[in-house]
Amino acid sequence: MTELLRLTGLKVHFPIRHGVGESFFGRPSRVVRAVDGVDLTIEKGEILALVGESGSGKTTTGRVIVKLTRQTAGSMTFEGQDVSRLWGTRRLRDYRRKVQLIFQDPYETLDPKHTIGSFVAEPLVVNHLGGSAAEREKIVVEALEAAGLRPGAAFARRYPHELSGGQRQRVVIAGALVLGPELVVADEPVSMLDVSIRTELLRLMLDLRTERSLTYLFITHDLSLAWVIADRVAVMYLGKIMEIGPANTVISAARHPYTQALISVAPSPEPPEPGARAKRTILVGETPDGSAIPTGCRFRTRCPVAFDRCAVEEPPLIDLGNGHAAACWLAENGAAAIGPAAALTAEAPAAR
Amino acid sequence: MTEPVTVASRRQWPLPRLADPAAPLLEVRNLKTHFRLEHGWLQAVDGVSFRLEDGEALGLAGESGCGKTTTALSLVKLLPENARIREGSIELFGIDLVPKAERAMQRYRWREISIVFQGAMNAFNPVRRVRDQIAEPIRYRLGQSETIAKARAVELLDLVGIPKKRADAYPHELSGGMRQRAMIAMALACDPAIVIGDEPTTALDVMVQAQVLQLLEQLRMDLGLSLILITHDLSVIAETCDRVLVMYAGRVAEEGPVSRVFTAPRHPYTRKLLGAFPSIHADRRTLEIIPGQPPDLTAPPPGCRFAPRCAFAMPVCTEVVPPEVRFADGVRVACHLFPTSDVQTVSVAPVAPAPPLAPPPSAPA
Amino acid sequence: MTAPVVPMSVGAAVRPVGGVGAFFKKLVRRRNGLVGLIILGTFTFLALVPDLLVGPLQTAVTAAGPRLGPPTAAYPFGTDELGRSVLNLTVHATRISMVIGLLATIITVGVGAVLGIVSGYVGGRLDGILMRVADFFLVLPTFVLAIILTAIIRDVLGTGSREIAGIRLSLLVIVIVIGITSWSSTARIIRAQTLSLRELAFIDRARVIGASSGHIMWRHILPNVVNLIVANAVLTFAGAILTETTLSFVGLGDPFQPSWGQLLDAARTVGAPSLGAWWYFLPAGTAVVMVVFAFTLLGAALDDILNPKLGTRR
Repeated sequence: MTELLRLTGLKVHFPIRHGVGESFFGRPSRVVRAVDGVDLTIEKGEILALVGESGSGKTTTGRVIVKLTRQTAGSMTFEGQDVSRLWGTRRLRDYRRKVQLIFQDPYETLDPKHTIGSFVAEPLVVNHLGGSAAEREKIVVEALEAAGLRPGAAFARRYPHELSGGQRQRVVIAGALVLGPELVVADEPVSMLDVSIRTELLRLMLDLRTERSLTYLFITHDLSLAWVIADRVAVMYLGKIMEIGPANTVISAARHPYTQALISVAPSPEPPEPGARAKRTILVGETPDGSAIPTGCRFRTRCPVAFDRCAVEEPPLIDLGNGHAAACWLAENGAAAIGPAAALTAEAPAAR
Repeated sequence: MTEPVTVASRRQWPLPRLADPAAPLLEVRNLKTHFRLEHGWLQAVDGVSFRLEDGEALGLAGESGCGKTTTALSLVKLLPENARIREGSIELFGIDLVPKAERAMQRYRWREISIVFQGAMNAFNPVRRVRDQIAEPIRYRLGQSETIAKARAVELLDLVGIPKKRADAYPHELSGGMRQRAMIAMALACDPAIVIGDEPTTALDVMVQAQVLQLLEQLRMDLGLSLILITHDLSVIAETCDRVLVMYAGRVAEEGPVSRVFTAPRHPYTRKLLGAFPSIHADRRTLEIIPGQPPDLTAPPPGCRFAPRCAFAMPVCTEVVPPEVRFADGVRVACHLFPTSDVQTVSVAPVAPAPPLAPPPSAPA
Repeated sequence: MTAPVVPMSVGAAVRPVGGVGAFFKKLVRRRNGLVGLIILGTFTFLALVPDLLVGPLQTAVTAAGPRLGPPTAAYPFGTDELGRSVLNLTVHATRISMVIGLLATIITVGVGAVLGIVSGYVGGRLDGILMRVADFFLVLPTFVLAIILTAIIRDVLGTGSREIAGIRLSLLVIVIVIGITSWSSTARIIRAQTLSLRELAFIDRARVIGASSGHIMWRHILPNVVNLIVANAVLTFAGAILTETTLSFVGLGDPFQPSWGQLLDAARTVGAPSLGAWWYFLPAGTAVVMVVFAFTLLGAALDDILNPKLGTRR
């Protein structure tokens, strides 16, 4: 396993501006700390799931990786080279070929005025790749068929509104493939799709990983989905990673109270058995605003097991062995401190 | 809950004049709602029947385009211009709503059947206080004074977990979860007989979703709400509903108690749908795939509409519309796999494990 | 910042519609496009060779007809208060009105669209500066500017009937004045639309695949604001013809050549409406309406062609 991408101390702070005049003269008065110190490595060939609720900074992290958003601090290396300060269309050309993005909304990603073929060919055109128009068309048809749209030539002539949601997302995937990327950042790629179509797309993504030795960063709010597809899972909360590790370990032996709570409310089509509801940990309140992150541990305001130390000192990611780490003071003293859900079952407070 | 609450005893406002107290709360029979398109009729809902008892929660499950939302909107006749209810009856307290004119429907909309929409932001007017918007139906539908209406609105907000001091907030000042709570308060404003939730938690985060579902559960216990929940998310139905109605391509595939349908699905579509649902309690990468696409509802296939995608399809499936078969445990299924004759004795085979989604990757070091 | 326009070859390589010829064919295949083209073609013909149809421009000296005479065989559109043929005047007015309308529209829409797209897409400080400039021109009073500019330009280039590129100087002043005072509202509208387009995923996607800003503005933003540009062009054209009327009225027009605006103004001054001399104002009024109508039809056809959703339905 070799390292493909590494984020070190990544921070993205967005200024909040007020009023029209200030957009010209003003200085930002407050900042939203969307990503607030993320360290992460992505290994070649793996599927890493970045899980978090809205406001967790998972999408912003993905956007930094595909160079759509500038980081405020921290560095990023790709294949051992520092790419943090790489900007501008020309200088990014090589990087862009290797790192591609699959978007959440297949309805918004396809420009309604362009054909499917033109969408898939565009990466080649703007990068002056693929040779003549005929050669380019061949690559486009191949990519469409690799994404399961057969016959590719017929799909290439169609317009986005003629396709179903699942087909559109296949087009988006084909468009990400033509440059032959190594890392694909998939931002909620199936969350807009129906359950039955989801599975097909997940399988497609898994097949493509094997065929084209891809690496995925799979961004999702759905822990179950992460469990189904990922090799490793990282759980984010308010701009920081709370827990990271092999999918099996994180799901079956979660050590962070936030991960444990997420697991306890994870959607499941099995009707709850009598008494099972009490075992769930429904956290009180909602994720605080990124401009008002609590001191100490950022999760402590909603944590059912928070204690004095959490308010003063922010826990680092504590290594638990086998690539498993959790940012919780209770994880420090070994597994006995909190068993999954054991300390949490008492807390099933009425939502308020 | 010590003694059962009945519609009449629970309600603050009298039943409609023509109401039959002995009739079931809601009885839908052979509902056919079609959309007129340029090239014909789109059979969005085509022969759906179900019943909702007082205090019950029914889940309408299915994928996009299966007709679950059209079914729900038909109940209050809030349909797009080109839609027609071409057949069937919708009886609320024994009163058929289908022949009612637009003006007569006003009596039932929101007062008897209210809706919690998916996007709570769009359902509120951004420049008016939440409390005033909730007071509105109380004033105009129930003819209460402004003072009473506003006081009631604050009570309702408190009931759904929005503190009194936030009652005069504007919609944008509330978070997504809070707005969905306010939307629920608005739906409860006129003390309706039925609340319809149209994907009420879909846009929310998992944790907030759990909070809202918990609230709905609590409201059901406290107020004896009758609920129709429309969602593609089977876990929401598993969580909140007593019975589930699985729809496919405008028809009922399977209906029955949640505990039966979700643990021992009979219709091949229900089995596939459940198998396609990712769950951290199940094995990894064993998700089901349903090959193909839903049929074109302007020219649906004759016979069973699921037949073209069904692994168990027989010659008869493509020719004859499967009749609904009712089982002893309260489940009804529309599938030729279950012949009408041996209804009572049929034993349900356990769901075959799904093929793995992909071979397990070489374990990451 | 790269230039907002990339070489056509890059765009053409993935362009779904063919070249100009194919585009023209698509335009003609649509009834609204065809009718619009026919009307505009007719007026363009009138503007190019008016003498061929109605002879040279009649003046007070060459006028031979009755005063304010109703339509007759000799004077199909009647005559004005000096005895000139209204048909003759209207046809000759076509050139001035069309030239003013077209030039003013090109300046307004061209400048407005380019600045609007760049300002909206690039954003930041450039956006702030451009929009402040736009605001300045937005509040500038047309008349005051016209009077000052006319004075300045005449002073610099000399008075009289000098021509620049075949256009009389006073006409050029009118065109410039209309252009300067109306580009900013177009720019504001286009910018607003660009701002909302910029947030859409397909723009992000274009950036991720390595497209330059110029490519994105040309290939993704422009096609999605074309309908706005066309709608604005139609309004600007109509507005320009009317502005020319007003400017002529305060003595800033070109007294040597009639325009539709001047004809309407003359008709009003004489009191043609109250005298029942409908033939005096009807031809010029109809001409204005027809040209604006033709532009509207072309605009709708253009939108059809560029909007694939509408295109496949017919």
